[in-house]
Amino acid sequence: MAHLDIRGLVARYNNATVLDGIDLSIERGEIVSLIGPSGSGKSTLLRVISGLLPPREGTVSLAGETINYADRRSLRRSRDKLAIVFQQYNLFGNMNVLRNVMVAPVTIQKRDKKTVEAEARALLDKVGLGDKLTSYPDELSGGQQQRVAIARALCLKPDILLLDEVTSALDPERVGEVLDTVKMLAADNMTLLIVSHEMGFVREVSHRVAFMADGKIQEMGPPAQIFGAPQQPRTQAFVSRILGH
Amino acid sequence: MHYVLHYGQIAPYLPYLIGGMAISLALSVLSFIGGMVLGLFFAVIRNEGHPILSRLVRIYVAFFTNTPQLVQIYVIYFGLPDFGILFSPFAAVLIGMTLNAAAYLTEILRAGLGTVHAQELDAAETLGMNRLQTLRHVTLPHLFRVAMPALTNQYILMTLGTSMASIFGVEELTGRAFNINSTTFRSIEIFTTVAVLYVVVTFIATILLALVGRWAFRARVPVL
Repeated sequence: MAHLDIRGLVARYNNATVLDGIDLSIERGEIVSLIGPSGSGKSTLLRVISGLLPPREGTVSLAGETINYADRRSLRRSRDKLAIVFQQYNLFGNMNVLRNVMVAPVTIQKRDKKTVEAEARALLDKVGLGDKLTSYPDELSGGQQQRVAIARALCLKPDILLLDEVTSALDPERVGEVLDTVKMLAADNMTLLIVSHEMGFVREVSHRVAFMADGKIQEMGPPAQIFGAPQQPRTQAFVSRILGH
Repeated sequence: MHYVLHYGQIAPYLPYLIGGMAISLALSVLSFIGGMVLGLFFAVIRNEGHPILSRLVRIYVAFFTNTPQLVQIYVIYFGLPDFGILFSPFAAVLIGMTLNAAAYLTEILRAGLGTVHAQELDAAETLGMNRLQTLRHVTLPHLFRVAMPALTNQYILMTLGTSMASIFGVEELTGRAFNINSTTFRSIEIFTTVAVLYVVVTFIATILLALVGRWAFRARVPVL
């Protein structure tokens, strides 16, 4: 059974169709990356999966259970299994680093505060921010904030992690530290769905790469195929443009 | 003119004036708290954009911010008894000030709610927070952080506004000053002393609110 199964997903902003019949199946422990030009629907797909934009048609299933986006309880259950890290970090500005990581497990999942704190400290250590527990987001660099955001998502103990252009808002010298953190997750066998413009990174960590354009997956295959021998003309054009630079 | 200042004549009345200040503070603190509760409720309604409730709040705010507070309290104190609703002078002033404050605070809080980052709300949603949890953990701390300077100003204005309670016979600071003046006729000494007391109280309130804002909400408010 697929870990994350998406069938015929359609989403619209007002009347504009931004996802036009997406089919995507991801196995447990698999790392799939979405690439494609801006406006192709990559980030929207993650927003729909995470419930920020309700789908107009189609289904999303997590480990066999179809998410009912109209039902808060079903959505709530899916959020125990699935977490998202945003391009702009989206940390809570009024909370320090430790509280940012702890707030959801303690107040939403109702887990024991001491246990969660120990886990949060361990996670922040793991992403190299063990000395920033009492800092506030506006006192951190972009790379540090992004690593806090990853620790916050991981503290929910998700089965699947969605990463939405997690390096796009960072200075070039900060990109490496975040990518190293993601590689660490990949090594932990976590199911990852990644939207990224870092082609070298995508090529290195992904099991499969999906090329999206016009709200559709135009081509999907192993990195060697997508970057080495793309089948579709649009993929070829995109890849040659990207790799040419 | 050879007027000689005699502050010594006022000194015995200082405890009496300070007692009046306590009544002024009771009025300002209670009406501010009441106004905050109502204002927050109304601001959330405005922010949610419910078609009917939002319009009712707009009418409320327009009415209370476009009529004098004094007239509003007149209606409560002198008008409502015609319908069998009687309030003590203190209660009438307190209700009037609360309703008036609620209108101004609605606008301050509504503006603050508009500055909550959409990204933080997205994060709250995807972390699984419900509306109440988002309000408590994300929206309100942000709101108080950005609105603290405006809330402090509003509180100071309300403290100074308590002086109108004397018109209704409430013996707050200004009311007690009138009482002393009618027996001593030392107007300059009395009213300058009262002015200094108002300055001291509002100064302390400004510092306290700035400290609370900094400590609780990381508000960037200069303490002095």
